[in-house]
Amino acid sequence: MNALLRVLSLPAVFLSKIPGLAPVVRACSTSVGQKFLMAITGLSLIGFLVVHLAGNLQLFAGEAVFNAYAEKLHSLGPLLGIAEVGLFATFAAHIGLAISTASMNKLARKSSYALKETKQGLFILPAGGASSWMMVTGLLIFGFLVIHIMDLKLKKGFGVDYTAAMNADNEAVNSFQAVKAVLSHPVHAGIYFVCLIALGIHLSHGIRSALQTLGLHHKNWNFALRTLGFVMAWGIAGGFISLIVWALGSKS
Amino acid sequence: MSSDLLNLTLRVWRQAAPNQPGEFRDYRLNGVSTHMSFLEMLDVLNEQLIAQGEVPVAFDHDCREGICGMCSLMINGQAHGPDRGTTSCQLHMRRFRNGETITIEPWRADPFPVIRDLVVNRSAFDRIIQAGGFVSVNTGNAPDGNSVPVPGVRQEMAMDAAACIGCGACVAACKNASAMLFVSAKVSQLSILPQGQPERANRVLNMVAQMDKEGFGSCTNTSECEAACPAEVSVAHIARLNREYMKAMLFADH
Repeated sequence: MNALLRVLSLPAVFLSKIPGLAPVVRACSTSVGQKFLMAITGLSLIGFLVVHLAGNLQLFAGEAVFNAYAEKLHSLGPLLGIAEVGLFATFAAHIGLAISTASMNKLARKSSYALKETKQGLFILPAGGASSWMMVTGLLIFGFLVIHIMDLKLKKGFGVDYTAAMNADNEAVNSFQAVKAVLSHPVHAGIYFVCLIALGIHLSHGIRSALQTLGLHHKNWNFALRTLGFVMAWGIAGGFISLIVWALGSKS
Repeated sequence: MSSDLLNLTLRVWRQAAPNQPGEFRDYRLNGVSTHMSFLEMLDVLNEQLIAQGEVPVAFDHDCREGICGMCSLMINGQAHGPDRGTTSCQLHMRRFRNGETITIEPWRADPFPVIRDLVVNRSAFDRIIQAGGFVSVNTGNAPDGNSVPVPGVRQEMAMDAAACIGCGACVAACKNASAMLFVSAKVSQLSILPQGQPERANRVLNMVAQMDKEGFGSCTNTSECEAACPAEVSVAHIARLNREYMKAMLFADH
């Protein structure tokens, strides 16, 4: 565990060598600092999800509209590449910090209780609600990410028939048909569904937790912020799930 | 509610010394009055053990009225037992049923090593306080009343944080063994009041640094600490600590 922590601190060691960054890195290396970065990267990734969902909901508008959108996006060229690198870095930071803080937490209690109960009210999920499932749901989301990139970025989804999306030279040109081919495949649709439920659980704790970590806690605002967090979490998960339902429904 | 006398089985953690392995031992205790406090019940158990020639169970206690923060028992998996806003000494045996098995463990967190049986070493909290949980002002004579104006609301907020008795239930109940509720209460009580302003930025930075050095976990915002806190300190103070830390990190004068 200590060796793992040392490896995970390498980016911080590297960044602190850059002139002027050392004090910032030091402040962000404490438990509180790491949670700040978790919150900021998490909220940034939600920003990406919102944009991604908004784009994908154009599937409902039909083949022409969606393909026009996809073409426009791909025509951004290097800009899209920079955005993808930034997105990848944000994911890597979020995951790295998650493993780092989780290891510190494990080290803080090496021998556990014989009996442990919660003093809070009823939880829908066992063991203290969504907050106890962040690592599990996070891993599911990571697994999904790998499959999703294989399916729709590399067009190498396992068992998926992409012929409808190909042109005569065997190049994938029709994004609409590619999405439809993946989402209407029962195994892929099933995996996507399970992982999107995991995303909903992850965000339902993640959003409110990120706000609390960033210091947003006020009795006049708590109810509104928590409601917003819950609605956003399941709105995003539900929005993506609606695309699976649509693809399965329009299969024939 | 239960009958006036209880017959209980107590599963108690016994550990002779810090680095020795511990184990649970079961003890039968009959005729426990429902009017007893939990600690009085343990006193009766110890009388019984002494009479049998066994070593009594070591447990921390002092004021026995919920203000000192010494008693620190994990009772049936809950810090200070099943009730909210109470310490182990304020818990009464009427909360238990006749024939029940009660599991009693020490706080479990690596920064709180077991000294013996149910007693843990909470010096880590003292070192966090020494890192910044104080004000260095020449107090001189007692100032005139109201010469330092503090709005009533802020007095109450500071008092809510100052209600922390430093028992460690927050650490014990947290799945990460995080000390954030304790540290945030100690940061808040001074950052809210005018006397705490001169050292405000360094206080939060130093106390967080010491908290990490002691090896406590990080805050996952489950609010289990707030539910377990006998002084009912709110996680609003954790948000305040986060704001204080962010401000100190970005705008501190040094």
